[in-house]
Amino acid sequence: MSTKNNLTIAEKTAKLDELVAWFDAEDFELERALDVFKEAEKLAREIEQDLQGLKNNIEIVKTKFSETE
Amino acid sequence: MEKPTSLQFSVSDFIALTNQTLEYAYPSVEVEGEVASFKVNQGKYVFFDIKDAGGSIGCFMTVWQLRVPIEDGMKVIVTATPKLTQWGKFSLTVRAIRPSGEGSLKKSFDILRAKLDQEGLFAPERKRPLPALPRQVAIISSTQAAGYADFIKILNDRWGGLELRVAQVQVQGAGAPDQMIEALKYFNSGEVLPDVIVLIRGGGSADDLSAYNDELLVREIAASRVPTLVGVGHENDISLADMVADRRAATPSNAAQILVPDKMELIRSVRRQVGSMLPRTEQAIERRRQEIYDQLRRSVSAIDRQVNQYDQQLAGIARVLAELDPRKVLARGYALVRGDIKPGVMIEIEKHDILIQAEVRHVNKK
Repeated sequence: MSTKNNLTIAEKTAKLDELVAWFDAEDFELERALDVFKEAEKLAREIEQDLQGLKNNIEIVKTKFSETE
Repeated sequence: MEKPTSLQFSVSDFIALTNQTLEYAYPSVEVEGEVASFKVNQGKYVFFDIKDAGGSIGCFMTVWQLRVPIEDGMKVIVTATPKLTQWGKFSLTVRAIRPSGEGSLKKSFDILRAKLDQEGLFAPERKRPLPALPRQVAIISSTQAAGYADFIKILNDRWGGLELRVAQVQVQGAGAPDQMIEALKYFNSGEVLPDVIVLIRGGGSADDLSAYNDELLVREIAASRVPTLVGVGHENDISLADMVADRRAATPSNAAQILVPDKMELIRSVRRQVGSMLPRTEQAIERRRQEIYDQLRRSVSAIDRQVNQYDQQLAGIARVLAELDPRKVLARGYALVRGDIKPGVMIEIEKHDILIQAEVRHVNKK
């Protein structure tokens, strides 16, 4: 399910979790907060677009499972 | 008038002809009645009578064709071919038998459930978790069924990017269990296995849903290498397939809800996460502001202390200087003499209140 940036939605949400957690982490720096926030905002937009854009693919198996079908 | 000539046969030929006639006229019949004199011979052959108030017919089938538990007194429907045996006995060669009527269905269900339960097929420790986010989903259902449409609609509303492979099978009737078994075997034998197999069908009568109580189907679900999710009928309909599956869904729609997360919920969660960053930043700014304020306050206090210290030092110096002030010495009665102290030289003598001009007369060593 690769999307923009070749990252899956699961990878993007994991990255977003990391960014959010950074705000409570010990290495938090106020000077970087704005950049991290912008990155998270961009990631969130991408996740939303990816989710809205993905469609399911349905394939009916051609195999006949019985002569009575 | 000429008498009509009767056809003449040997016994064997007549039996064969009768069977040919029966096979042509009734290649397959369904007969409903109550089971009597049920017995299994040599573990292979099943004999019983099927009867109603007006008559009784002998039936024969093999154990392998017996897919549901049968007992005397049960109302059943047999799918069979009529046959005249070489001993001149009329019987039905049964291909399939299924309980008929609520009481028989329930009795058969209870017997099989107890048997499979004893074997541990429904044990909680056998249940495997379904993948959190499946990619390849195998579906065994009828694409014409309302339950299938509900399932697909909910699935599409909730999540995307799935590869759905659908085995189109009968979901009720005599052929349904075998078709579902074949579909299960198919999905379990591919080079790439799906992440999950879902069996679904919408609501129906107890008879409609009885296909999901077929012993061989239940065993095939239990043997599946791929985790299974079964959503059959309505909330209150519980089949043995439900019970043996790794996960039971109350309905096909519920199966879709179990299978994938809701993308709208995820979007809302992502928005909440980003939204939560602003207050955290504001809190961080407030913390930093407080730290700076505290630092500033400590700096001001330190400067104050330093200034006080200097003030005290200056006051001390001022006191010493004040003590050393010549005017204070003069005030105590001393005089300040200026000029060369040589005889005949004019000098100036300063007292605290007067200046005196004087001439030096003598200078003697003390």
